[in-house]
Amino acid sequence: MLLIRLWNYFRGYVIIKITGEHAERLLNQAALKGIYLWDIKRIDDNTLTAGINVSSFFKLSRLTRKTGCRIFILRRAGLLLMLNSLKRRKMLLAGAVMFIASIYFLSSFIWSIDVISQDAEIKKSIENDLRRWGLKEGTFKYSLDKKYYIDKILQQHKEIAWGEIRIKGSRLVVELVKKKLPPELEENSPCDIIASKDGIIYEIIPFKGEALVKPGDTVSAGDILITGRILNKPDRKQDDGLLNPSEAVLVHARGIVKARTWYQKAVVVPLVMEERLPTGRVKKAYRLHMGKSTWSFQWGSLPFALYEIETAGQTRLLPESLGNLIFDVIYYKEVESKKKFIGVDEATREAEKQLMEQLKSLPEDIKITRKSMDFSLDSDEKSIIGTMTLEVVEDIGREQKIY
Amino acid sequence: MADGIKKRISNALDLPGDIVLNLPRIVITGSIALFIENHRGIVEYTPDKVRLNMSEGALIVKGEDLLIKSLIADEAAIEGRIKSIEFED
Repeated sequence: MLLIRLWNYFRGYVIIKITGEHAERLLNQAALKGIYLWDIKRIDDNTLTAGINVSSFFKLSRLTRKTGCRIFILRRAGLLLMLNSLKRRKMLLAGAVMFIASIYFLSSFIWSIDVISQDAEIKKSIENDLRRWGLKEGTFKYSLDKKYYIDKILQQHKEIAWGEIRIKGSRLVVELVKKKLPPELEENSPCDIIASKDGIIYEIIPFKGEALVKPGDTVSAGDILITGRILNKPDRKQDDGLLNPSEAVLVHARGIVKARTWYQKAVVVPLVMEERLPTGRVKKAYRLHMGKSTWSFQWGSLPFALYEIETAGQTRLLPESLGNLIFDVIYYKEVESKKKFIGVDEATREAEKQLMEQLKSLPEDIKITRKSMDFSLDSDEKSIIGTMTLEVVEDIGREQKIY
Repeated sequence: MADGIKKRISNALDLPGDIVLNLPRIVITGSIALFIENHRGIVEYTPDKVRLNMSEGALIVKGEDLLIKSLIADEAAIEGRIKSIEFED
């Protein structure tokens, strides 16, 4: 039904008046002929009004003679008629056109620039560069030469592999993908394996190159463990005892060098702990950030000596591109400071917990062979010092290029 | 006689009566609207009373401010405050 109504609205329709003794007969005849009538309403004994579309109206007028009824047009309606009546209201039309034109005009500028990149550093430097090259908010988007800027970015930033500039409405999106830098040393460039830290060699497996140390040797950081400099004829005696570089073959040394190394961690736990407990008293306040400045406002003064601040809700009043106007709701929560003597045992336990926590920060590929913990009272007897010594086996080899 | 057989077939096979027996199908929405399919024309229309012919007999809708919302060959929609619906042989 809605579809028919809509169709009639577009085509135009008329409201008619039907007069006659037997208007029902006309209605039936019309229905039989496939003429659609709607909103049929009795006005008085001899009069009906109804809606009918324009083309059906002429068909209906042919039926009137047979039934002895007469029809009159009361009113015309429809889309075309409405458009016609708009002609008389020129200012309304002008306003609508102005509105559409201004929206179009305003949307043809770039209002915000987004740089999308996994790397925050690239993002920042590109943002600055674009601004420097004259691509900023307010640029007319249709005259923007995207290729020029992309070429310039790729030229200036060698670390970017791929880039794209697109315009999404009034937003300029710059998408950049960073190049994956090649490994520090190429596969075939000659290098040595050196020790990255002090330790006692536990295991050495050279894949390529010559091992210079054996298990049990003590090495310090920087010592060459596996050399990439291999003498061509190791059995030939050299008179001067010096190595002739031209006779050495340089290879890319590879291998696993595991060594025993030590780690030491220490924590200090005071015997008297300060605890902050909320008292339950809370005061609500509001805070407005504008640019770099901040205003707080609240009812009355703050009655708490010690408190913690909790931000409950943050509302950005303007879009990010239009400025930094943020409204916060904050709660001041009163806290009480309580000093608690926890005793030596408790402090020791706490120190142990903290040390175990620190174990997690060690590199993952190491193997702990021995672990010892030691707890002692500090000289002023106010805190416990916990120390942990770890003996671990880890790979200490590191590549170093031979020049 | 023929109708009797049709009715029995319709009952036995559980077929809807409006199709087999050519009966009108009437949908009433509360007391504000009535929709009838398969009618045989409007006999009388006043704001208080609408009389529709059916294949057998007639349907009389009584009420106030009745209005024929739409009318085509075998469908009619009536709106207004419906007070009663009567079937007449």
